[in-house]
Amino acid sequence: MRTTAPDVSASGPLSYDVVIVGGGAAGLRAAIAVAETAPALSVAIVSKVYPMRSHTVSAEGGAAAVIKDVDSLDEHFRDTVSGGDWLCDQDAVEFFVEEAPKELLRLEHWGCPWSREPDGHVAVRPFGGMKQQRTWFAADKTGFHLLHALFQTSLKHQQIVRHDEWFATKLLVDDGRVGGVAGIELATGRIETIAAKAVILCTGGCGRVYPFTTNANIKTGDGMALAYRAGGPLKDMEFVQYHPTGLPFTGILITEAARAEGGWLLNRDGYRYLQDYDLGKPEPHPVFKSMELGPRDRLSQAFVKEMEKGRTIPTSYGPIVHLDLRHLGEQTIDTKLPFVRELCRDYERIDPVRELIPVRPVVHYMMGGVHTDIDGAAGVAGLYAAGETACVSINGANRLGSNSLPECLVFGARAGEAAASHAASAPGPAASLAAQAADERRRLEELLRRDGGRERVSTLRQEMQAAMEAGAGIYRSRDDLVKSVDRVHELQDRFRSVRLTDHSLTFNTELIAALELEFMLEVAGSILHSALMREESRGAHQRVDFPRRDDEQFLAHSLICRNDDGSWRIEYPPVTITRWPPGERVYGR
Amino acid sequence: MAEHHFRVWRGDDDGGKLADYTVEVNEGEVVLDVIHRLQATQTPDLAVRWNCKAGKCGSCSAEINGTPRLLCMTRMSTFDPNETVTVTPLRAFPVVRDLVTDVSFNYQKARELPAFAPPADLKPGEYRMQQVDVERSQEFRKCIECFLCQNTCHVIRDHEDNKQAFAGPRVMIRAAELDMHPLDAKTDRKEFAAEEQGMGYCNITKCCTEVCPEHIKITDNAIIPMKERAVDRRYDPLVWLGSKIFKRSDA
Repeated sequence: MRTTAPDVSASGPLSYDVVIVGGGAAGLRAAIAVAETAPALSVAIVSKVYPMRSHTVSAEGGAAAVIKDVDSLDEHFRDTVSGGDWLCDQDAVEFFVEEAPKELLRLEHWGCPWSREPDGHVAVRPFGGMKQQRTWFAADKTGFHLLHALFQTSLKHQQIVRHDEWFATKLLVDDGRVGGVAGIELATGRIETIAAKAVILCTGGCGRVYPFTTNANIKTGDGMALAYRAGGPLKDMEFVQYHPTGLPFTGILITEAARAEGGWLLNRDGYRYLQDYDLGKPEPHPVFKSMELGPRDRLSQAFVKEMEKGRTIPTSYGPIVHLDLRHLGEQTIDTKLPFVRELCRDYERIDPVRELIPVRPVVHYMMGGVHTDIDGAAGVAGLYAAGETACVSINGANRLGSNSLPECLVFGARAGEAAASHAASAPGPAASLAAQAADERRRLEELLRRDGGRERVSTLRQEMQAAMEAGAGIYRSRDDLVKSVDRVHELQDRFRSVRLTDHSLTFNTELIAALELEFMLEVAGSILHSALMREESRGAHQRVDFPRRDDEQFLAHSLICRNDDGSWRIEYPPVTITRWPPGERVYGR
Repeated sequence: MAEHHFRVWRGDDDGGKLADYTVEVNEGEVVLDVIHRLQATQTPDLAVRWNCKAGKCGSCSAEINGTPRLLCMTRMSTFDPNETVTVTPLRAFPVVRDLVTDVSFNYQKARELPAFAPPADLKPGEYRMQQVDVERSQEFRKCIECFLCQNTCHVIRDHEDNKQAFAGPRVMIRAAELDMHPLDAKTDRKEFAAEEQGMGYCNITKCCTEVCPEHIKITDNAIIPMKERAVDRRYDPLVWLGSKIFKRSDA
């Protein structure tokens, strides 16, 4: 539903100065930045869901930013760079750690209720891979509260127009310059064009290319595919984060805060197995950057090793280990981790106060994404990206928990400002865009009406997910990757004869699922190709055939571009190192 | 594994009817799993909103056997094996298609409510609040905007005309949350709720509290205190006098 009438007649084409695709934390922050820095510009948020359905609501644990006297920007910088196995661009990380506290305080001024210390100051908690307590939180629904505050703040700005439940299918690009988006309004099935001088992609991640993920249904990599198809490169796509503690079957996340508050990971013998993986010695209380507070990549990898040793617990939903919170006591669990208790009760029928929580690694986050510079500019004039869909990169080969929410804010704001300044001086959309829009309309109408195809969307999707788990899981090898690459190519061929049984224009979920699948196949291919070409092990990318980090060859970003015929090429621009040359990642000692 | 009888409302704004399905149900499943199985095996054109499948995003609101509920939070084990499960769209809002309704009314009302007003004299980093005060409004911030309360509230559900004047329980708890925020600089939240958003229409039947999947005590903790304080303000001569003498600074 449109919430406000656009500034053109209802029959004419829609047109704005800045269009933002995606209404989660990054998208809303970008919209507010445009409205605040250039109030005369018109700005629209197009999103395939209502803003409050965005996946930001699922971020639980918190948002990292230096606020305490014992902490320093340098330590946040060092934790982030070593956590990312030196693949982060250090200029971006420097900017990020400086801006993060300002953004979180800004959120407080927009009504976000950060949890407090007894003296009334903002409270912080420890988090994995962080040397100090610097994770701000709002109970254990941090992303949820943050998104609400952003949404309510966006409502203050009358110039921010929303097109809710509007699915962007194509970026319109003319002569290397973005001119808007084409897409479908779900409620009516109307295929529309929205002209824009600048477009910001804020569509989040693509966890749905895998079978077992914490990501919600909408996380199908739309923004990544939109940019990739429009000629924008994707960066570091092989780096896929597995979160070590997902609930089996549902994949629902048990926040890292559970370990930060003192939770233990136990194998089938009740043994804190992380001590066997160079992550430190078991202590009764949580120790920074040690054991359960190690980084996510290392913890997920330790799980696989335990499984190979036969020390995990088999269940009908696959092998698991246990997360033990019992020693924390009911009061701590209820005040610090109420949502964890709620989820365990609702989905596993267990009470963590008295029982062990079954957990296993689950696909959680994409370190890679649309290649951008520090302003969010994505390599096509007028195109910007921010948040999980983008890769600046501050996360390198492995993101630290609680860095992603501030990333959405810091780089959402920055991209908004940059897009506004670009739009203020950019010429109007080129005339040739109408032809592109017409082509896109024909393509979508053909897909909608197509009859006689053999392939079902749900079948192809399942096969793609299986190929991704087999080829690009926690540990990878050349053979498995090659097989999965072939598989995804075959699925892309088969997609051409996909058949829809729903030909309605009104809220056609099957059509949207087909378009999402097409995007996901594109993104899946880019992950597999990038993983195949990176012949080293770094952070979340572990090759059993190349078990060492290789700074000689691969202290570099993978930049994958799509050629017009669907083939691809990869380049390796160097990582930006400003002040901390690569060293050993040290945890627990 | 067992078979279960489902009736699902199919149609659009031109009308529709209940359609019958017999569908497989597995242990541990929720109603949304069964709806997905219907889409996968019998009727791919069934329209339904869903996203997180964890009771957080508020997308999959519908009525199950006449009660407003989230499809993802309603376990199949709560039904008798022979009981027919009837799934219909939210009744208070216009149907788009099948289980999808047009909930834009709620967003219009949300837009009318003034946002959090930061205190003018505090700079970034100077906010001090007690956790107990933060938690008071935190309860209302738990709202996932599933609009089950809006749907069940008989002021809206049974009287389309009231939608103009009454913003509904969801908006009332938002007003209460801002009113109880220790640092919100606006001092007329209650008056605004009473005069602009029709708080008086609520006659405290607590239906909204009953259906809230977040277990927010909408009536007891938000609407009743707001109503009481709005009344205090209006009829207390001292408050009236004070407000005349010390001109309030809220915009």
